Amino acid sequence: MPADSFAATFPVGSRSGPGRAEPETGTQNPTRGSLAAQGNRIDDTSLIRAAQQGNRAAFEVLVRHYDQSVLRLALHLTGSEADAQDIYQEAFLKAYKNLASFRFECSFYTWIYRIVTNLCLDHLRRRNVRKEDAPVATDQSGEEYSVLEQFPDARSGANPERDLMRRELGSKIGAALARLTPRERMVFELKHYHGLKLRTVGEMLQTTEETAKNTLFRATQKLRSALAEMR
Amino acid sequence: MKCDWVRQNILFYVYNELEDDARYEVEQHLARCPECALELKAARVFHATMSQASVEEPTPNLLASSRMRLQEALETASPGAWWRRLIFEPTTWLRQIRMSPALAAAIFIVGFGGGIGATYNYLANRGGGGIALVEQTPPQSPVEASAITGIRSVTQQPGSNQVSIKYDTISTQEAQGSLSDQRIQQLLLFAARNNYNSGVRMDSVDLLTQQPNDTRVREALMYALQNDTNPGVRLKALDGLSSFVRQDPQVRDAVLRTLIGDASAGVRLQALRMVEPMKVDSSVHSVLTRLAESDQNASIRSQARIMLAQTPEMD
Repeated sequence: MPADSFAATFPVGSRSGPGRAEPETGTQNPTRGSLAAQGNRIDDTSLIRAAQQGNRAAFEVLVRHYDQSVLRLALHLTGSEADAQDIYQEAFLKAYKNLASFRFECSFYTWIYRIVTNLCLDHLRRRNVRKEDAPVATDQSGEEYSVLEQFPDARSGANPERDLMRRELGSKIGAALARLTPRERMVFELKHYHGLKLRTVGEMLQTTEETAKNTLFRATQKLRSALAEMR
Repeated sequence: MKCDWVRQNILFYVYNELEDDARYEVEQHLARCPECALELKAARVFHATMSQASVEEPTPNLLASSRMRLQEALETASPGAWWRRLIFEPTTWLRQIRMSPALAAAIFIVGFGGGIGATYNYLANRGGGGIALVEQTPPQSPVEASAITGIRSVTQQPGSNQVSIKYDTISTQEAQGSLSDQRIQQLLLFAARNNYNSGVRMDSVDLLTQQPNDTRVREALMYALQNDTNPGVRLKALDGLSSFVRQDPQVRDAVLRTLIGDASAGVRLQALRMVEPMKVDSSVHSVLTRLAESDQNASIRSQARIMLAQTPEMD
């Protein structure tokens, strides 16, 4: 597609108001207030509009803004590269197919994370069903470990004793996390491991900040008692 | 008792989720209360323990292979119903103009190829002939999913209601037809909202004002009035809405908002003239009072005062 058709689709005349009394609301996301993020946001808007008109290259650039953190989330949550890749694929394909329905009423970041979060929840629910036949894998020292409850440690190898300790702790943590419901797990994951504000977590799970807070509270109670039992 | 409240909130304190005043209170309490301080320590140990399951960055290989897989899948994936969004973004307009869902649905439907009889017949039965198109597409069908990238020009043939609109997709195309043709309407609505050339927006709004009985057109005019950056376009939109100020409360409210908030004195003056016949209306009256006191433009202030002075006393 010629470059200027991309530029021409940017609706210059319409969004910025003619000196109105009320400030424009709508796309302000308080969790991304830095200037760099603002710059990204402006790029996103024109990329999204171009992608909505069928410009696949624009969609691919848009994906690059978010895909690393999406993959990171999926990887940590599932503990499996293959599962993470599946979630990644499904999420961005779904985004591509549904881009037409994105109306800028939230940020693209929230929107894409909502999709990813729902896919993660589905994954967790399916996994709960399959717990009886938990897949196992072998690591470098020939030991079997449960893929479901393990956290792959890329830095292993130098210190076998530390690795063992890490692995034991990893499986304890994994076992504790496995006691949570999918939603509790999701809230804890997003808050604890990815540092998102509970208000954002609420938006992604399409609930309120208050509910997210309560869910976090319940999750941590469960985790603490699980860890205490395992001592 | 305070301890209970602090214990409830220690978790959120550790996760930095407390508001500043709550955080301050917690810190103050923790400095004085050893039991709660122990609780904090336990919470922090928990936090540190869980953090051992550290978050790994995906390896470059994983990221690259994921991207490639996605790219392959995108090549065969259809973008879904692009045509659904078509040219104009009706729900964005509608959200801004606060329309009813039923009307939103009606406008959506107009954009589709398959018609719902009622809405289409209303348009199709008006006015004369079909569209004479330069390119070979079926008459009266909406624009193809190959999206419009911009409207180049809008011209009306003098002395008739035939309109010629040049718009870009990948190559420039032209649609000709009468003002009542659906396709022409669609393109005009798009131009009024989306075009980067204010001259074209002005022409479109001008043509739309010839058909303000259509509710979509009315909405487009209100939208242009409230959002267009060019004062000339806003003036034209005002003109188009002038006959509706009395009967339609939404139009009246939009004009009142313009009166208070528009940056251009010329536009405000025109709006002022438009509301004059309604100066006994209470909302108009209160806006006039405000204008008389605080409008930046002296001429507007004095006109507003004169209008107020001429209004008979209200009980």
